[in-house]
Amino acid sequence: MPSILKKGAALFLGLGLMAGLTTMAAQAADALQAIKSKGTVKIGMLVDFPPYGLMNEQNKPDGYDADVAKALAEEMGVKLQLVPVTGPNRIPYLLSGQVDLLVASLGITPARAKKVDFSEPYAAITIGVYGKDDVKISKPEELAGKTIAVARASTQDTAVTKVAPKSTNIRRFDSDAAALQALISGQVPLLGCSNVCYVTIQKLAPGKYNKKFELSSQVQGVAVKPGEKDLLAWVNQFIDKAKSDGKLDKINQKWLGEPMPAILKKSSQ
Amino acid sequence: MIRPFGWNEFELILFAVRWTIVLAVMAFVGGGIGGLIVALLRTSDSRVLRVATIAFIRVFQGTPLLMQLFLAYFGMTILGFSVNPLVAAMVALTAHASAYLGEIWRGCIEAVPSGQSEAATALGLRYFNRMRCVVLPQAARIAVPPTVGFLVQLLKETSLASIIGFVELTRQAQIIDSVTFRPFLVFSIVAAIYFAMCWPLSLAARRLERKFAQATAR
Repeated sequence: MPSILKKGAALFLGLGLMAGLTTMAAQAADALQAIKSKGTVKIGMLVDFPPYGLMNEQNKPDGYDADVAKALAEEMGVKLQLVPVTGPNRIPYLLSGQVDLLVASLGITPARAKKVDFSEPYAAITIGVYGKDDVKISKPEELAGKTIAVARASTQDTAVTKVAPKSTNIRRFDSDAAALQALISGQVPLLGCSNVCYVTIQKLAPGKYNKKFELSSQVQGVAVKPGEKDLLAWVNQFIDKAKSDGKLDKINQKWLGEPMPAILKKSSQ
Repeated sequence: MIRPFGWNEFELILFAVRWTIVLAVMAFVGGGIGGLIVALLRTSDSRVLRVATIAFIRVFQGTPLLMQLFLAYFGMTILGFSVNPLVAAMVALTAHASAYLGEIWRGCIEAVPSGQSEAATALGLRYFNRMRCVVLPQAARIAVPPTVGFLVQLLKETSLASIIGFVELTRQAQIIDSVTFRPFLVFSIVAAIYFAMCWPLSLAARRLERKFAQATAR
């Protein structure tokens, strides 16, 4: 009941805060040094976005993002404090200084790049429209008059909203899990989600759903507060190293069961 | 990436109740004290105090609790105060509950016939004793049902504190749901746990009402 309001309100407020924050960017010149002298790096990550971020059986943050964060803290030589954040509040957490970095499956988009500074991509997800086998569509125009579920405020929400014709009924849910449940329980015939999510669908209901078309290839970056150039440069150097020494490949194998995708291999800068 | 829903997951959800309870107790105690102050100021003879209290009530009744929590945490940090989420939650929940309980209790105080207060004054009782011995005991009797109704609602509203990082009952359920994909099971359990906390509150209220009724029966 209150959650539509809840997330909408949080986003709205978040954006308001960000506008005020850009002025604070200048003071953040030696963020890297500050973290090192504190001896602890606070990294925000999602815990409801498996396999990137989840809570394991011991109720500790775990997943792809957690492993990247661990490697990062180790490389920096400081202790790691993982801070669980949610989709709508992750950027406010970063901008208000509650965390130093976000390794929170934050897809790199131009809109977000105005609010935070992104590193080179450290993970990639392809987003597509999936649905029941008997729904015959193959391009965005054919979404007209159809109902499609997405997780609110996610990259797939933005992507679907952008390409869908006006008559499409987009139903937004709190999380991928809830959107996926809507698909599987038959409330909606179509779902906008990632390749990762599709792996789950195949496990829950093998052979009943297929991919209709791809919306985008989304790369995710580590986010830092705007203007923290030295920290960003250090993170980029860390990611380059993790890509070349096979660490990132290992993390991909562990959590996604695939080698590191090609799109990550070429450096974006 | 799916995990079966087992005893461990159930325990994690059950254990998250501690934050719901901590938040609810903070809100009840803070709101109880704040609400009494608000109710007394709101019914005081000083116009300035009354207007100031009305302004407080309008602001906190007129804005969503979610915003109050959000501003208390992220807003304060941006203004340069480092707030711990527990303090932020306490401030927001106390202010929110004070505004509502204050208005509820104001109504109850005003429902006590003014003759009672006048008679007490005629007997030479000053404000403090007049309130303590004559008005508030009578108001308390009327106040039980609406107060408990609000507290039960407040207990459930503590789930909003997940926006500032509390992993309480509802948030924990969302997290568990994201790895187990068993929303019906997960949220049924959560509903049952909320019910198990709210129902005793309602029962206690019934008993209290009956006691009050006996005490004043003629």
